[in-house]
Amino acid sequence: MSLALVALALAASVLAILAVAMGYVLGWANRKFHVAVDPHVELLQAALPGANCGGCGYIGCSEYAAALAEGNTTVGLCAPGGGSCAQKLADILGVEVQESCPYRAVVHCSAHTHQRLQRAGYEGERTCVSANLVAGVQGCTYGCLGLGDCARACQYAAARIVDGLSTIDYDRCVGCGACSRTCPRNIITLVPFKAERMMVVACSNQDTAADVRAVCEVGCIGCKACVRVAPELISMDGALPAINYDHYNPEEAEALESVLEKCPRKRYLFVGKPTPEDLAAVEHEELPEAVTADFKTTVDDTEWRG
Amino acid sequence: MDKEGPTALERFINGVLPENPIYRQLLGMCPTLAVTNAMKPAVTMAAATAFVLICSNIMVSLIRRLLKPHLRILVFTLTIATFVTIADRFLAAYVYDMSKQLGPYVPLIIVNCLIISRAEICASKQGLAVATADGIGMSLGFGLGLASIATVRELLGSGTWFGIHVLPAGWPNWGIMALPPGAFVTLGLLLAVVEWGTRRRAATGIWRTVRMLWSWRHSPASSSSS
Amino acid sequence: METLTGLILIFISAALINNFVLHYFVGICPFLGVSRRVDTAFGMGCAVTFVISISTMLNWMFTSFILRPGAPLPAWVWRTAGGNPQTQLDLSVLSYIIYIFVIASSVQFVEMYVRKFSPPLYKSFGVFLPLITTNCAILFASLEVLKHMQDPANLWSLPQALTLALGGGIGFTLAISLMAGIREELDLCDVPRPLRGAGIALIVAGIMAMAFMGFTGVEKGVETALTSLLR
Repeated sequence: MSLALVALALAASVLAILAVAMGYVLGWANRKFHVAVDPHVELLQAALPGANCGGCGYIGCSEYAAALAEGNTTVGLCAPGGGSCAQKLADILGVEVQESCPYRAVVHCSAHTHQRLQRAGYEGERTCVSANLVAGVQGCTYGCLGLGDCARACQYAAARIVDGLSTIDYDRCVGCGACSRTCPRNIITLVPFKAERMMVVACSNQDTAADVRAVCEVGCIGCKACVRVAPELISMDGALPAINYDHYNPEEAEALESVLEKCPRKRYLFVGKPTPEDLAAVEHEELPEAVTADFKTTVDDTEWRG
Repeated sequence: MDKEGPTALERFINGVLPENPIYRQLLGMCPTLAVTNAMKPAVTMAAATAFVLICSNIMVSLIRRLLKPHLRILVFTLTIATFVTIADRFLAAYVYDMSKQLGPYVPLIIVNCLIISRAEICASKQGLAVATADGIGMSLGFGLGLASIATVRELLGSGTWFGIHVLPAGWPNWGIMALPPGAFVTLGLLLAVVEWGTRRRAATGIWRTVRMLWSWRHSPASSSSS
Repeated sequence: METLTGLILIFISAALINNFVLHYFVGICPFLGVSRRVDTAFGMGCAVTFVISISTMLNWMFTSFILRPGAPLPAWVWRTAGGNPQTQLDLSVLSYIIYIFVIASSVQFVEMYVRKFSPPLYKSFGVFLPLITTNCAILFASLEVLKHMQDPANLWSLPQALTLALGGGIGFTLAISLMAGIREELDLCDVPRPLRGAGIALIVAGIMAMAFMGFTGVEKGVETALTSLLR
């Protein structure tokens, strides 16, 4: 028999036997080493938004789904997903959703650049973390530096720097807490929003009277007038008031209004989505057009045909 | 299924510069560093890779409807292994010295991420013409990348190009260029040059024009306005 | 004793002198891709070492019995088919196909086994296993073994093949962990924009390659030392 023929036959049979043998081995291994995966995990993962923001406390959406499938956690932890997502997760797992209110980020400072005492010009790296390490960047050592670490941390474009002050857009904030974790001065906290607009303490300065007035036009001076008006809602944390949000009831409008009026520095603010009055006030103004590149019109419909 | 996705011409142009396998996709690094110490091995390797890439793209495109999802990587790999064996035996038969110089890097074309990724991304999803054009484009891009690195290394390392002395005799040969450190550093610096070049306005402008033409072809309203 | 010396020399050669990544340029894709953090890099290195040992052992067996020139199985088939004893039936053309098939199957098998019997191990390096199928380093080890199985008078044994594989894997782990450590530091440095990412990683790899070139010629000294030690 010719060499070529035998070689061809042997090669073909070796490959065929190898393929069949490996096929059997792998098929056997697939059955023997089968790992039972909870089918719920895939469904749960599909129901989650998939942003991997870490707001739920788990490293990613897949980790949260795995923890939910094992029954180790509640369904309401996903802030970006919100109520609808919690309901979907609850339906998949066959549990009830507990009522909870959304948490949103609140910046406890409201001094813009012109209201703060600036000291020597800062020439370092334009991040809050770096500026926080350097002495003498601005007079108030508690308040917002305005260099934008929170804006860069926010994946939802909710945190922005407006006039040197960090501002939250409540239409976009989902309460993931990224800005809160990033802020080196810890002036952003997550507040449960029991209503569309919540009253907050808009200052973090823990000094009193003259020291505060020297560095900021609008800082809290620690006069305790607010505590005298609403002692069950507000308590003093050193020289700075703190609102107890467990006792906060949005229905008690007069109590909250009186606190607002009593504060000599007007440091209590309502933050949240814009009220109908606010929207009406700016209705007559035109929104600036966002300029986007539209290649079809750069040459096509103009008069110039060059 | 063939109407979706880029056309043959787009795939071809794509492979040469915009998605160049070495400079932009960073695939197929192993042969890039190993054989580019001179132009001759680089061109031989580029030709061998071109043969394997084009043939495997054609083959995978022909059998694409028969592929089972969980076995497809294995099928791609075996197809590529067959063509690499053919290429390797061909080189050993006709250019034995070059084959010895290239050594184990010709069989390593089997595990060249570029070929498997083109099979996965293009050939298993689109028709014969598109897959072939993609193979040709990517091979050209790969060859360009290899040639550019080999030119730098050979010129600086021994003053020759394709074995012909081009630099004056007084050139002190940079021995390091023929050795592994030279390969790494040359590729790193050339990558930086390409990154820098593609970010400048001229390149961005050209790229924007190409993309504009591309989107004109695909947007439904373009047929009425132009 | 000569075999032990030989094995140690093979190991040192594969791990340091002719390091797979920095001298032979194999395994560059994971070297650049997975080397951002030391723990992932080390996990990848361990996975590669594990797979390279298993697949090289299997491939040595196939090479020894079927694929090398003068292998027993083709010789027996040729004799049985009544062939001319002057000519030799050579199946080495099947080498690449069988190697890659064995590598892909063994990786698949190992992944299933590890997932079932050691979830913590799977968590740490299981995710790298599918990537390793196309890792040049695994195939390269088998090809090196093939290179040493061409001469029927001087064949490599299984311990030698396994030592080469282990040395190669450990060398890869060493290189990738070093690279990861350096890249973690580089994250804090001001790298020029065009060089960020792969550019600076390659230049660092070049400098590491230069450093490893310092090991050239070490095998002579090691050989002398070992022979005098083990005498």
